[in-house]
Amino acid sequence: MTTVLDMRGIQKRFGPVTALDNVDFAVEHGEIHALLGVNGAGKSTLIKILSGLYQADDGQIEIAGQPVSLQSPADAIRAGIASVQQHPELVGDLTGYENIFLGNEARRPGLFRRVEHGAMRAKAQELLKRLPVPIDLDVKVQDLASVEKEIIAVLHALKQENVKVLILDEPTSTLTRVEKEQLFKMMRVLKDVGVAIIYITHRLEEVFEIADRFTVFRGGRNIATMTSEDARQGDVSIPQLMLDDEMGALFPPKATEPAGDVFLSVEGLSLTNAFQDISFEVHKNEIIGFYGLVGSGIDELGKVLFGALRPTAGEIRLKGTPHAFASPADALKAGIFLVPGDRRTEGLVLADDVTFNTTLANHDRASVFGVRRFRQAFRDARDLSGKVDLSPPTLNRPAQAFSGGNQQKIVIAKGLYSQSDIYIFVEPTVGVDVGARATIYRQMRALSKDAAVIVMSSDCDEVFGVADRVTSLYRGRMTQPLSRDITRDEVLSAGLMGTAA
Amino acid sequence: MKILHPRTFILIGLVAVIAVVFQSLTPNYLSLRNLGGMLSAMAISGIVAMGLTFVIVLRKFDLSLAGIASLSAMTLGFALFLYGNLWIAVVACIGVGVICGAINGALVGYGRLPDVVTTIAVGSIAYGMAFVYNGGADFSKNFFSSGIVAMNYTKVLGMKVPILLLLMTAIFTGFLLHMTRYGQAFYAAGENPVATRFSGISVNRMMIAGYALCGALVGLAMLIQISGIGSSRVTAGGQILLPAYTSVYLGAALLGRASIPATIAGSLVMTMLLNGFTLMSVPYYYSDAVVSLVLITAIVLFDPRILIYLKSPRRLVTG
Repeated sequence: MTTVLDMRGIQKRFGPVTALDNVDFAVEHGEIHALLGVNGAGKSTLIKILSGLYQADDGQIEIAGQPVSLQSPADAIRAGIASVQQHPELVGDLTGYENIFLGNEARRPGLFRRVEHGAMRAKAQELLKRLPVPIDLDVKVQDLASVEKEIIAVLHALKQENVKVLILDEPTSTLTRVEKEQLFKMMRVLKDVGVAIIYITHRLEEVFEIADRFTVFRGGRNIATMTSEDARQGDVSIPQLMLDDEMGALFPPKATEPAGDVFLSVEGLSLTNAFQDISFEVHKNEIIGFYGLVGSGIDELGKVLFGALRPTAGEIRLKGTPHAFASPADALKAGIFLVPGDRRTEGLVLADDVTFNTTLANHDRASVFGVRRFRQAFRDARDLSGKVDLSPPTLNRPAQAFSGGNQQKIVIAKGLYSQSDIYIFVEPTVGVDVGARATIYRQMRALSKDAAVIVMSSDCDEVFGVADRVTSLYRGRMTQPLSRDITRDEVLSAGLMGTAA
Repeated sequence: MKILHPRTFILIGLVAVIAVVFQSLTPNYLSLRNLGGMLSAMAISGIVAMGLTFVIVLRKFDLSLAGIASLSAMTLGFALFLYGNLWIAVVACIGVGVICGAINGALVGYGRLPDVVTTIAVGSIAYGMAFVYNGGADFSKNFFSSGIVAMNYTKVLGMKVPILLLLMTAIFTGFLLHMTRYGQAFYAAGENPVATRFSGISVNRMMIAGYALCGALVGLAMLIQISGIGSSRVTAGGQILLPAYTSVYLGAALLGRASIPATIAGSLVMTMLLNGFTLMSVPYYYSDAVVSLVLITAIVLFDPRILIYLKSPRRLVTG
């Protein structure tokens, strides 16, 4: 094994904040190296220094034994470092191969330097041949699945000949289980041809699945680097390494008191091409969970319950009264709040601050005869941001300046402000670090004291860990009624294959 | 609300520089009489710009302003011609603006049509309809007897009526956009329509409200303009588009975001420049070009994204 990347004594400060404090970090030739740490631990800063977006204040970087100076992204690419951002920026209207060669199109000589599509397509096919995943490169990128987009982004990064280090920033956060397998397969192929992969993730179980070694960051320092094998044998707890104080259990205890009145009951609910014949009840003081992959219908089910989509059949009753929602406004009025799966596009007005976002869904409470109660709203937002443990608790900061976990906390504060009877959480912890996840699960349990809570997620452990009664959705159908007495593996296999094992 | 923001000082500095420069070039610039004239001149473009602010806050465009203005003006003249009653004429003139604006909003909101093309079309239809009343000829019957001409110079509460209307519009729109739930909804709907819908707010209704308000204020501005001209003509309002967009964008560039105070600031700076050029006898065909040049320069100088880029060029890359 030879060291392909060696970073020593890296120091980076932003004003008074030390983002990286004398960090050493090394990656071997052809290894998959997981980079772990809660949000703000310094992983992103390190990656940005490595891709030339930031410059270190101090320290040396060597690539394949040669000292390099990375002053710009172009320097990094020349040095053999390729990176794929967390949300890869692809041009949806162009095809796969056009995206791969975006900015490096093959050109015919001559006056108009016409783009040579044939050569590009052939070259892209050749790149793709190295990978075990078939993708139609002639399809427009907007019509591709998430994993295919991710792979297009990887190919875009790999089109350089001399790539030695590939950085993948949370590529799995939006992928399903099957898609993740495809991505991992591709990573193993690249590893075999000698590319070192730095892999950032919040999903700790993936570390043992794919990584050879991992490094944990905490408070801007490299806390530990070890092989996954050693960690497994030595029974090392990665969450404990990641968190300063010993983290309590990730999931709060389940309900001890019996569930209360039925708050929401659903009978034979269907939406063409999404889900069929869904029936369940949820009580006050309980959390129910639906496990389902992307495409299983959970996303649509959440939206129908919230009035954002209209069901084709079935009935929704709130505390016994039938309701038909024409819009989310109706559902909110009736006491249903949705914490959507995509908080950036569905949950928050990113350019506006915490108070603005918190009060947006309950104007009746935030205004008198239409006039906004600024002081009252500020006080309420301050109380709620304390309750959800927002960090930093700066209310006049725009939502986009917060990390993923804290953005989700703002959406939850917005839900608390709406004082609803029924809370629906869709994919509540995508892109959220372990520390914030625990807070969010605690909040869900706290909410269930006075409300009914529904969790829908493609993370089986999450559904199983937080909900009192669970079931799974497979191709739009409930695999079994909600049940307390079901094992995690039964939920998982039912959600993956449609039948309880 | 954020009165002491550093950008406020930039604005005050800019106004002071313009004042000093023109005062040194033309001694009458800061005379009371000319300041009053400036405010009167600001009334028409300022009121239109405040209406446009709502559409811009919704992140939409309205290119129907001139067409709606023409139809409003001719409706005003026609109503005076028929009834000779100022109040009926005012309601008709503003009402036509509201209807045209609501059609814009319904097509862009519920109809999901592209805003630029739709408003150009609605504006053209309105302009065509303006010719229907009188075959394109002016109206001036009953103008003196109804009191619309007197409106232009009558003083109420110590202010000429146009200036009073400007002030009242500023207070009303400022209150609506910055103090009420509807204002919050306008901003939210412009920045993230999906999240806004998921927050229980009808984005389509906000579109109709925003465009209708814009149309209403175009109508109000035409009332002032026609009272100054003394007759209704189809070419009224032909010149309102550039000043309105300049005011909103110049203001947003100066204060960092489209808002009523920003639009007032933009309108003020623009009016001060135009007025100064007029006093210096710069031909009108140059002043439009100069105003446009100032607009682009201001955006380049004050746009927060460009400021960020100048401080640290790499930050644009990371977004």
